[in-house]
Amino acid sequence: MHTCKRYLRLYRVLVTQFLKTIMQSKVDFLMGLFGFFFSQIIGIAFLYLVFQKIPSLQGWTLDQLIFIYGFAQIPRGIDHLFTDNIWMVAWRIVLNGDFDRYMLRPMNIFFQVIAEKLQPDALGELLVGTILVVRSLMKGVVVIDGQHIALFFVSIFAGALIYTSIKLFFAALAFWLKISGPFLQVAYQMSDFAKYPTEIYAKGVRFLITWVIPFAFVAYLPASFFLKEGTSAWMIGIECVISILFWCIAYAVFDRGTHAYESAGN
Amino acid sequence: MIKVDHISKDFISPKKYPGLRGAVKGLFSSEKVVKTAVDDISFTIDTGEIVGYIGSNGAGKSTTIKMMTGILTPTRGECLVAGIDPSRHRKENAQNIGVVFGQRTQLWWDLPLSESFTILKEIYNVSDENYAERMEFLNRVLELPDFFDRPVRTLSLGQRMRADLGAALLHNPKVLYLDEPTIGLDLVVKDNIRKAIREINEKYQTTVILTTHDIGDIEELCSRIIIIDEGKKIYDGSLNDLKDKYGTKRKVSMEIKQPEKIKKLSLTEILGVKKEECDVEFDKEKNMLCVTFDKHKIQVPQVLTAVMDAVEVKDVQIQETELAEIVKEIYNHGVTA
Amino acid sequence: MRKSLRVYLPFASNELKRQLAYKGAFYLFILVNMFGAFINYYLWMAIYGSSDQAILGGLTRNEMIVYVFMSYVTSSVVSISIASTVSDDVVKGTVAMNLIKPIDYRLSLISQAVGNMIYRFLVPAVFIWTGVEIYKARALGLPIVSIWNILLYLLSCIMSFLIYVLFDFCFGMIAFFTTYIFGMQMIKNALLGFLTGQLIPISFFPEVMQRVFDFLPFSSMVYTPVMIYLGKYSGEKLGFMLCRQAVWIILLYGAGSLIWKKVTKKLVVLGG
Repeated sequence: MHTCKRYLRLYRVLVTQFLKTIMQSKVDFLMGLFGFFFSQIIGIAFLYLVFQKIPSLQGWTLDQLIFIYGFAQIPRGIDHLFTDNIWMVAWRIVLNGDFDRYMLRPMNIFFQVIAEKLQPDALGELLVGTILVVRSLMKGVVVIDGQHIALFFVSIFAGALIYTSIKLFFAALAFWLKISGPFLQVAYQMSDFAKYPTEIYAKGVRFLITWVIPFAFVAYLPASFFLKEGTSAWMIGIECVISILFWCIAYAVFDRGTHAYESAGN
Repeated sequence: MIKVDHISKDFISPKKYPGLRGAVKGLFSSEKVVKTAVDDISFTIDTGEIVGYIGSNGAGKSTTIKMMTGILTPTRGECLVAGIDPSRHRKENAQNIGVVFGQRTQLWWDLPLSESFTILKEIYNVSDENYAERMEFLNRVLELPDFFDRPVRTLSLGQRMRADLGAALLHNPKVLYLDEPTIGLDLVVKDNIRKAIREINEKYQTTVILTTHDIGDIEELCSRIIIIDEGKKIYDGSLNDLKDKYGTKRKVSMEIKQPEKIKKLSLTEILGVKKEECDVEFDKEKNMLCVTFDKHKIQVPQVLTAVMDAVEVKDVQIQETELAEIVKEIYNHGVTA
Repeated sequence: MRKSLRVYLPFASNELKRQLAYKGAFYLFILVNMFGAFINYYLWMAIYGSSDQAILGGLTRNEMIVYVFMSYVTSSVVSISIASTVSDDVVKGTVAMNLIKPIDYRLSLISQAVGNMIYRFLVPAVFIWTGVEIYKARALGLPIVSIWNILLYLLSCIMSFLIYVLFDFCFGMIAFFTTYIFGMQMIKNALLGFLTGQLIPISFFPEVMQRVFDFLPFSSMVYTPVMIYLGKYSGEKLGFMLCRQAVWIILLYGAGSLIWKKVTKKLVVLGG
């Protein structure tokens, strides 16, 4: 409890300092936010155009797909907002030896990595996600009751954890490979598959995004729970189990990686 | 305070072959090259010691320091810093140590120095009263107030080094590691930094380990030095012992009144030694006679008497061999018994 | 199993390390880009599967498959971005240096882009293109594209490339007004993906919007060459489309010169 409090306090201190350095340019901030917002909106426009020609897509209505699409943005945005610095570990920090400074401070290393940066651009994704989910609520597309509302937040949290775990896992490879950015890029981009119902993909692809790089559990699978009355709440249970499992694997690899870290200059 | 016990570190990299054919060959080979950067090194350092850790580039200095600070995990062996294994209990160890790596700063580049200190106070959990007491001392010794409110990136190298030193000491570490603390600084700043290190060591009994290429750092600061070469420890002892053992050369320079008489003077004959045991040089323009010899073979007064019997001497200078030369000698030829 | 993993993993990782140091990263990025094409492929299959009509937006299911991959090939060859180079030069101040050199700044950028385009054409594009043709003949039972169409397609592609690069040059000039071009690039890429026909054929847009697009350069960047490749244009229509591309080249060239003149004048006044 005491440690937890201390870390929260440290997080506030570190993030405040970071914000001081970036808040100098509000234009940059708005531009980044709008950039992410806009590129997600395009996806919706695409769906809208397609649905001018067809009544439903393998049984899904446009409203339902929009919910899936929007719901997928929220865990993605949360992860993007808080853990963006993991990318730097994959691309640079291990390679050039800057990782030394994390090793020298009496704090958890993963905590130091994520506390160093917030990515305000992510608010663009969160904004799109929230708007689309609220729209779905108002249109009555989703099931609304106590259980669903509670599980909605659980699912978002678990989804963000899946994102973070996947990023951490691939970034940790940098301890052995020096640079793991390209691998992380490939893995992260897989999340695009999860914006649509996974039934449309071939078996191999579906297996890959469900069990190997489990982005299906971030978006489509839990979203279907909120969309269809009578879907078992176990779906969210499985999502949580997967997120915890992947987190443990990723964190273990990262932890081993810190012991294999070779610093720079040898 | 520090116990390093048969510690080694290997770096493994895939074997590379030259050329395109080599690249193809590399595909089918899993040969690896193991480079042992630190090879079975042991030593103990007591509380309050200032130890110079020296060696040529790539000798394994930084690797050893990185193992002691917890950055690298040793391949074999173990080290204990204040009773803690740094690679196993990294966080506890981090609380005990302060680190300054000359080349890169620990400070927040874009923030005013004062903010960096505020953050570090939180990170190391320094209480308000301890913080005030430390800052009072650091401000005096390192003259931080001169640039306390300026962003770190605007500081000069000397100021940044003082700032980094201050930052490393804020939490009153038991051990302070300094990697090239005076690199690139001018003489006055170097002197200030050295003075500050000495004061810190005296006041807080901080154990200091420093790597350096600057012999001045060692002469001014270290009572003990450890020399490492190709990953192996080749010398561990006091500075005086090293000088006694290897710095046995003496050089006597004399300014002479009658240079014409010098030609007739044969010192080796008078002193009764072989030619190679006593080196005589004469600078005609300055009228300087320089005699270099081993102090165990010949005494300084013998040389003086011999010269003064023959010619009139205006001025005399006696020099010991510079430490730099000793170290250079050791790098080149290793330690000879 | 474990033993062979232990033996072969270092192979893989060593080779990857070596590759990564050079072109490896580039190929992985192509893979990443291909994801988009594959997602689109599956999505369109599902869309055609859910439709009771055989033709959507003027394309059959098989034509759409060709469209998805050829629009990917086309845009990967055509969209060589020079805006980031321009903004880099502006931020670092090398633009001012370029003003005193006896070379045309824009022309030097375009020449660089041509080199890049040829490289991209040779390395991934030709292989994917061949793959598409094989798939077309074997699995879809469509006739292989005629030489005439290939030549017309390549001609159209070259013009598309010029339109894109000239447009991107104008876009890069934004760097004179804001240094954070990253956000702008994102908006641009999203918008271009949509309006050039890379994501969805222009024929899917409502009539009114299609009329508006006729007066914008974007559909000339990807949609036109791919439609030519599919053999959707002939006779007068074909001639008109190619002419329209040529006109855009001239217009964007003029616009670029104009903006450049204005901006460099400002640069001189500021003494940058």
